Amino acid sequence: MKFNFQQAARALILFAFSAMLFKMHYTGDLTKYINPKYESLSQSASILFLILFFIQLTRIWTVKEQGHHCHHADHACTHDHGDSTFSIKKLLSYGILIFPLITGFLLPPKVLDASIVDKKGGMAILSNQKQSAQKNEGTNSDPAEQADPSEPLEHSIDQSNLDFPEEVSQDEYDKLIQKLEQSTNIEMNDYVFSPYYEEISFDVNRYKGRNITLTGFVYKEEGFEQNQLVLSRFLITHCVADASIIGFLSEFSEAASVEEDTWIEATGVLDVTTYGGNELPIIKITHWKKISEPAKPYLYPVNIKIL
Amino acid sequence: MKRLFHANIIDITGILIIGLALFFFSFGSNIKNLFEVPASFLNMNTIFLSILIEALPFVLVGVLIAGIIQIFVTEEHIKKCIPKNKLLAVLMSCIIGALFPACECGIVPIVRRLISKGVPIHAAMGFMLTGPLINPIVIASTYMAFGNNFKIAGLRMGLGFVIAIIISIVISLLFKGNQFKTAPQKQTIHSHSHTKKGPFLNRFWSMLTHSIDEFFDMGKYLVIGAILAAFVQTYMPAKALLEAGDGTVASLIVMMGLAYVLSLCSEADAFIGASFSSLFPTSSILGFLIFGPMIDFKNTIMMLNVFRFKFVISVLALVASIIFIVLLLLSSYI
Repeated sequence: MKFNFQQAARALILFAFSAMLFKMHYTGDLTKYINPKYESLSQSASILFLILFFIQLTRIWTVKEQGHHCHHADHACTHDHGDSTFSIKKLLSYGILIFPLITGFLLPPKVLDASIVDKKGGMAILSNQKQSAQKNEGTNSDPAEQADPSEPLEHSIDQSNLDFPEEVSQDEYDKLIQKLEQSTNIEMNDYVFSPYYEEISFDVNRYKGRNITLTGFVYKEEGFEQNQLVLSRFLITHCVADASIIGFLSEFSEAASVEEDTWIEATGVLDVTTYGGNELPIIKITHWKKISEPAKPYLYPVNIKIL
Repeated sequence: MKRLFHANIIDITGILIIGLALFFFSFGSNIKNLFEVPASFLNMNTIFLSILIEALPFVLVGVLIAGIIQIFVTEEHIKKCIPKNKLLAVLMSCIIGALFPACECGIVPIVRRLISKGVPIHAAMGFMLTGPLINPIVIASTYMAFGNNFKIAGLRMGLGFVIAIIISIVISLLFKGNQFKTAPQKQTIHSHSHTKKGPFLNRFWSMLTHSIDEFFDMGKYLVIGAILAAFVQTYMPAKALLEAGDGTVASLIVMMGLAYVLSLCSEADAFIGASFSSLFPTSSILGFLIFGPMIDFKNTIMMLNVFRFKFVISVLALVASIIFIVLLLLSSYI
């Protein structure tokens, strides 16, 4: 019997990957890295790693008499089987693989903050949202219907009867937008935040004067007035690496005293302003309070079934 | 006692390794608060790990498929399937790639295995270029990201497909042989390789061990690629790029460069692309959406592990220039 150190190291790494994914899932940290919708993928990866670990275990001890080396001499794969001699280069390559394990276990996940908003383009992106929403003309409801005063506006959107499905049909999505069109008090909860944001940015003037309630963290940029800041959120499609920024420019007198990255719950009135030559919505905040960072800081897109 | 030890040696080692791992973890959580790490490093680490976590399932599937190809597919199968005619071979591989729901992180090990089984280089490249770009998930996410409009999604798939065919044809004219970095141990000499011997269970087992070796081979390059991509995201301001991207040519270069360095998964890049759609013309957005899935930072590093440096750089230059030229020519029509 011969103990094969490299194979043992490989087994240890495989187990550690499995354990890291399991730990992140168990503690709920995984949602700080990826969209929960894809959590099952990572769970399967964790299980696969565990299976590969058990397979790898059988390779740690080799019996010399069986002539194991012959088996490997007669086939041609281009990868290393972990039987070759150990070298500095090998040590380095194992070190690279171990690096994510160390940082994954030692360092806490960080919720993306205002510095990332800045790196992602900040207001240059936010102030240009309007044209990006290329809406199907057919889905916009008749403006005449909207203007009809006899139709009572729904006072506030009742979200309790929605069970927040990850995927909705086109009809359900249109209903969601219709609700927005008919409400005077717009409540931006996490589920509707991104579709409503897109809709409001697309048709700024239509929503002028309506009340809006939302939560977000503070982002500031050079060129803002003293009383201005952005209440922003990150929208995660798959993992935090593909986070895109959404946020409303907001105005209130104490804005200068509020630091970046502070989470705020605010109520205000929607208005229209221009920034860098683009029309965009602005919220004149009437009430606001500091809150602690929500347990689920990120937003996820509402998917529309197309098939 | 000694016999007992020998009989259970695998179990004992297994328990020891699990114990060792658990010891490290519990030790780790104790020292967590001992040192301060700068916030920007934590940001980078989070982005890095998220890219890795996102990619791992796809990489595992990739290495398993590579293992299956290694053990169960013979050169005779490949010879029978791939047409002799280069044009037909390219066309077929691009269509197979389009039907095959791969991600660009998992596709390099599959392509390497296919080539070592005798798939010609142009066909393998066609497969590699269309695999991550054209598949149902990418179509759906692009459709949604651009306000439920099929124009961008359609253009992305259609143009991407045509561009992939052009690139593969050029590759077929320029390159012969397998282009592997290490001196090719010719597969044909080893026709008695373990694809044919042993019962199914043995072959299945060696498929799994091959997959493990493949993972350790590819894993480190995935890690390096993810670190570099995370570094760029944390420290490179997009604003500087945005200001540089004025005009059709400059904006196309900026968007393609962005697609390359960000190394996003093709299933998720549509929303990022959409966030730029108001700043830049459609042709530049398409450059971002087509170039990124075909080849990016992460992918290049994984390819460098397999192929010759000159080949990888040529492919990169070819892909970039052909996408650039095609989109520039079409920019006034789309």
